Amino acid sequence: MEKKERRKSKTEEQLEECQKIKEEYLTNWKRERADFLNYKKEEKDRMIELMRYDKEGLILKILPVLDNLFIAEKKIPEDLRNDKWVEGFLKIKTQVLDFFKNQGLEEIESLGKKFNPNFQEAVEVIKKQGCEPEIVVEEIQKGYLFQGKVIRPAKVKITK
Amino acid sequence: MSKILGIDLGTTFSAMAVIESGEPKIIENKEGARTTPSVVALTKTGERLIGVTAKRQQITNPQNTIYSTKRLVGRRFSDPEVQRDKKLLPYEIRESKSEGVEVKMGDKWYRPAEILAMVLQKLKQDAEEKLGEKITEAVITCPAYFDDSQRKATKVAGEIAGFNVKRVINEPTTAALAYGLTKAKSQQIVVYDFGGGTFDVSILDVSKETVKVIGTGGDTHLGGDDFDQKLMNWIVTEFKKDQGIDLSKDQLALQRIKEAAEKAKIELSTTLETEINLPFITSDSSGPKHLYLKFTRAQLENLVKDYIDESIELIKGTLKEAKLKPEEIEEIVLVGGQTRMPKIQEEIKKIFNKEPNKEINPDEVVAIGAAVQAGVLQGEMKEVLLLDVTPLGLGIETLGGVDTVLIPKNTTIPTSKTQTFSTAADNQTSVEIHVLQGERPMAADNKSLGRFMLDGIPSAPRGIPQVEVSFDINADGILNVSAKDKATGKSQSIRIEGSTGLSKEEVEKMKKEAEVHVEEDKKKKELIEARNLADNLIYTSEKTLREAGDKVASDLKKEIEEKVEVLKKVKDSDNIEEIKNKTTELSQIIQKAGAALYNAKGDMSGKARHKTAQQAQKKEEPRKEDKKKEDKGKDAEEGEYKKK
Repeated sequence: MEKKERRKSKTEEQLEECQKIKEEYLTNWKRERADFLNYKKEEKDRMIELMRYDKEGLILKILPVLDNLFIAEKKIPEDLRNDKWVEGFLKIKTQVLDFFKNQGLEEIESLGKKFNPNFQEAVEVIKKQGCEPEIVVEEIQKGYLFQGKVIRPAKVKITK
Repeated sequence: MSKILGIDLGTTFSAMAVIESGEPKIIENKEGARTTPSVVALTKTGERLIGVTAKRQQITNPQNTIYSTKRLVGRRFSDPEVQRDKKLLPYEIRESKSEGVEVKMGDKWYRPAEILAMVLQKLKQDAEEKLGEKITEAVITCPAYFDDSQRKATKVAGEIAGFNVKRVINEPTTAALAYGLTKAKSQQIVVYDFGGGTFDVSILDVSKETVKVIGTGGDTHLGGDDFDQKLMNWIVTEFKKDQGIDLSKDQLALQRIKEAAEKAKIELSTTLETEINLPFITSDSSGPKHLYLKFTRAQLENLVKDYIDESIELIKGTLKEAKLKPEEIEEIVLVGGQTRMPKIQEEIKKIFNKEPNKEINPDEVVAIGAAVQAGVLQGEMKEVLLLDVTPLGLGIETLGGVDTVLIPKNTTIPTSKTQTFSTAADNQTSVEIHVLQGERPMAADNKSLGRFMLDGIPSAPRGIPQVEVSFDINADGILNVSAKDKATGKSQSIRIEGSTGLSKEEVEKMKKEAEVHVEEDKKKKELIEARNLADNLIYTSEKTLREAGDKVASDLKKEIEEKVEVLKKVKDSDNIEEIKNKTTELSQIIQKAGAALYNAKGDMSGKARHKTAQQAQKKEEPRKEDKKKEDKGKDAEEGEYKKK
């Protein structure tokens, strides 16, 4: 009788152990499931972010070409300004700019504004009489926002 | 439990990472960048800037923009290193009451640890914002040569920032941790760290429980930025030689040259030649001048040869100090963006006669390793349930002897996959499921794991029956393959043990074979696909003619029959082009028949059409029987079974 009881208690112990393990496994399983579902949700956001990032990377690589277009435009000699060929080329520039604008690229307005390191990077400080300090007087390289985020600050000269 | 942040507190840049779902992950800062400049500034209006914004205003406010603080932290003022940096740094530095260093920002004097704390605080805030939870604990890295005082100061910086600093750990050790190299028994590791502004080499001795630094060397003022400067100087000199104009005073030109130099350097890590193209760089009385230079990898290597040689000499010296020979080093780890340069990797390989570890982004590897250490302290890495993956693809043989993969290689198990297939011939009543393992596209080249038949499929034209095939691998790698005829519910299955139990050598051999034969396999598969397409078109053409009866003009019918015969003849040859051409020819003419048929029937109702089709089929019944015989053993579309 005693033996039987002892065996019973041993069986009970085993059952208890099994139930404990079962609980643990079930909890872990639920946790894993939840982790996975959460991961899937995060992955979706990450995909969107990645696509944006991918586009941003491409635009960053094309920006130097755009910079050169602006430099070329600046250097057009006065007597050629009204030339029809030059006009045609400048129309192409407008077309390129429109394309970028449609992609969500915005130019940072800097000239004449107070220097703000969130949008501009100072490359030179110059003395200018009668001018307020830290005003952007020249833009060395245009800065851009892409979908609201600064992807390249404007490189500027500011007053002392 | 809240996360422990792993922080690589660098001289010029810092980065941070955490463990998420058992994997280390870099956290971007508020500005969306993966690294943050270790720069702090106080503007004239009294605003404190940290990171990239501080760096952007550096030139306007040099005296109140504090950078490279890591060079000063925990050092005595009399330290020669401090005296040397004092001359180079534009902000004020003085001796503190405790013989340490103080720097001036605004009107106040700060200990370097306080400045570093500001950087750490930004990282903390940005991480909390990104992760959406409070972070109170951190693992912070420091160079292996940091002494007790410097380590203590680093810890203090963390504490001022509001962290409970769990550990200050050596940068080379975390780099090794990121690669999981510290688990191995006893081994020596060299960590070669070529950053933007500093170069460090460290030798680690990994024994059972500890990682000991047994040698350090380096140059605190040698880095990737020097490479850029060399290249810039070269560009300016070349332009002067060519055009006689000195660009070294032209800010605008220099800015463009700097960017172009860095871009060229990066490009030459993956290509052998690049061009530096800066139109309208300047102008003189004769008009605009353009800067255009071709620049090769060899030229770059030549330019920076001294720097690379110096770093290699430093490795040799450090090895000597640690009394080790290159062949006693088991692993090499590369850290820092400059190590992407192929020449550096080549020189390292030359000394050690081994491939260095370079798969993890060298700009992020230290932060990743710090997160791994944080994960170990947290216990998160230990609890991760290790799941196996399938080393090779698992699939079944389909028409034309093609291996159609159901479970691709590197799929984490347990997993299951179901796909529906059909028959390849009319009135096919049984299909054979041939289970395969391997990476080659053709069944014959892969390993056969087993096969079984599913019969009792009701007679039907090809492509109509639906046979559902399921693969299920449990966590122990036991594969269960079952096939079920959807119409009758009849099913068969096979159990294959050890489907993932191939030896490492076997798996490698099979993968290698797949690589070696990739071209030839591609061609083979293309041929089978072309054949299957041809076969399918022959079948459809014959069916169309049968069903149309005399609705197709006899000369057109004759033409189609001829084209079908021609295609039948070429279909089994190895000439892909010929098969494709003849297939196109037949396809074009059968379309004509289709159009004619459609016009002829234009006014009939759907019902009548159906009847006509049925009648036509009945009339052609004997021919269909012939076709069935013919079809036996022939190839058909992928996704259909081989008729046995």
